[in-house]
Amino acid sequence: MVGVAMLEVENLRLYYATRKGVVKAVDRVSFDLERGETLAIVGESGCGKSSMAKALTRLLPRNVHTYDGVVRLDGKNLMELSEEEFRKNVRWSQISIVFQGAQNALNPVLKVGFQIAEPLMVHDGVPKEEALKKAREALRMVGVHESFADRYPFELSGGMRQRAVIAMALITNPKLVILDEPTSALDVITQANIMNLLKRIKMERNLSFIFITHDIALSSELADRVAVMYAGQIVELTDAEEFYTNPKHPYSQKLMASVPTLRTDKKLEFIPGAPPSLLAPPPGCRFHPRCDKAIPRCGEEEPPAIEVKEKHYVKCWLYA
Amino acid sequence: MREVVGVSGNGYLLEVEDLKKWFEVRKGLFSNPLWLKAVDGVSFELKPGEAVSLVGESGSGKTTLGKTILLLHEPTDGKIIFKGEDVTHLKDKKRLMWYRRETALVQQDPFGAMPSFMTIYRILEEPLIIHKIGDKKEREERIYKALEEVRLTPVEDFAPKYPHMLSGGQLQRVAIARALILGPSLVVADEPVSMLDASVRVEILNLMREMQESRNITFIYITHDLSTTRYFSEWIFIMYAGHIVERGPTQRVIRNPLHPYTKALLAAIPDPDPENRKRFRDVPPGEPPALINPPPGCRFAPRCPQVMDKCKGEEPPEVEVEHNHFVKCWLYV
Repeated sequence: MVGVAMLEVENLRLYYATRKGVVKAVDRVSFDLERGETLAIVGESGCGKSSMAKALTRLLPRNVHTYDGVVRLDGKNLMELSEEEFRKNVRWSQISIVFQGAQNALNPVLKVGFQIAEPLMVHDGVPKEEALKKAREALRMVGVHESFADRYPFELSGGMRQRAVIAMALITNPKLVILDEPTSALDVITQANIMNLLKRIKMERNLSFIFITHDIALSSELADRVAVMYAGQIVELTDAEEFYTNPKHPYSQKLMASVPTLRTDKKLEFIPGAPPSLLAPPPGCRFHPRCDKAIPRCGEEEPPAIEVKEKHYVKCWLYA
Repeated sequence: MREVVGVSGNGYLLEVEDLKKWFEVRKGLFSNPLWLKAVDGVSFELKPGEAVSLVGESGSGKTTLGKTILLLHEPTDGKIIFKGEDVTHLKDKKRLMWYRRETALVQQDPFGAMPSFMTIYRILEEPLIIHKIGDKKEREERIYKALEEVRLTPVEDFAPKYPHMLSGGQLQRVAIARALILGPSLVVADEPVSMLDASVRVEILNLMREMQESRNITFIYITHDLSTTRYFSEWIFIMYAGHIVERGPTQRVIRNPLHPYTKALLAAIPDPDPENRKRFRDVPPGEPPALINPPPGCRFAPRCPQVMDKCKGEEPPEVEVEHNHFVKCWLYV
């Protein structure tokens, strides 16, 4: 595993300082990602998914308490870079991001084409004329007619704006694109169209995605590998084939059983209780108060990530 | 077995005939007024105790239809008949109070739907006070019973709490308790679980279903999520751009969709499956039309993969293709 993965994350931590105490939003998270591979990060709201995106792109709020660990991109530890170096050489030129609800965050007074071209001008120093030309190409690639480059965001539909935001994330030819709930505000048919677009991009360019979503069914549209987050930690990390057919962690199993399906008959289950507060997560395994398979050890000692099969990690004492 | 009290002669609790709700977006003083046709000619009937899922994308008019049925919007045209009485333009205050008692709404956002300065107890007492039901003692009994039914126990712990002290799932239980406390016979639930986490959604849906069945309530469940409808209702209505384009028994519509729009909607929804990433979804491009001066003819025609010349000029009628399974499409005429 050493040195082969494009992205290696080890013991990444992002804690926030709040009036009530320290919020452990991302707590010692490790995973790796190959070139051209898509990792889906799934979990319920408040489990630290979006904080993970912030930690990877170093877009941090002011109240950071702890931010450390190792993030290696092609062997280079990004955590050692200064703020300025990271901004100049990494963010957007190597790692770009599509934020949740980004289609509604376009600047209303700037033309769409200019906004798509901006990262090229800012990060790569491309002259304006050329950048605008590239923006038109990028729009065409995401399935929007290039004449829309000269329009303002309000003239585009929600789906078209989302495509424009994706074009913006791709224009600098990054190695990794982080998609944080990229379709959560869109209708199902539009969502399916955007997923088709992302699949095409994934096949055409050897690009890696980190796809963050709360929607398990939707995650299977892109995921080659899946990481399940619970209370700031990754509790299971495995291949898509394994995860969607045979999840191992009791939380993953319950989560899967609570997904309503259209084509198969199954009895829906739910998980009693609510996810814990990240201010004071339960000792031991963070899921043990809601887990029906808990043994005494679960409440006392935190389980390690156990490799139950090749590249299938489960953070649970049942597999120790 | 089901009690049939106070329904019209034909056994329906609710009859909706060619209901329209148009919003005026530009006043016409010198020019023609502009209308946003959110609900544009909808007809259906429901018997007591029936549950229906009203499915559509955002902007399809599903919320407007739900609110118009509850007379929270004044209907523009058409008829609403409830328990045999025409309530479309109910003006008499007493009758309106009666209709408010008989109907209830559960909203999408439980945080926004609860006054933050009231305790849970007070929130549940409010409808009882407004409708002058019981004395203090009787009200307390009813409130505790309602909390127990939605399983917010021990009730003494929850009653004095304020909304911000509860989780989303717990608050939605309060919303359900409030909706049911006056014993309504018709409840509209507008996206009641879409703001909740996946793991608690099922719990809330199960609870609503249980209460709907045990109290024989007619339930309209508004949702954009087709995959939850199977677990909730025996009927399904599919809305597109202000029209109901297909309606029928839930299982039959999902297994054998007739309208091209319903087919597209079903094709767009993934089930968790590792094979998904290897194939493209067969969905039409484009987005729903604007409801201000919508296109003539079938409103799905501009996106429809099976469109014919006729579809663009003339609005299709609703046809009953099989027993109780209706579709509004020229392919079946």
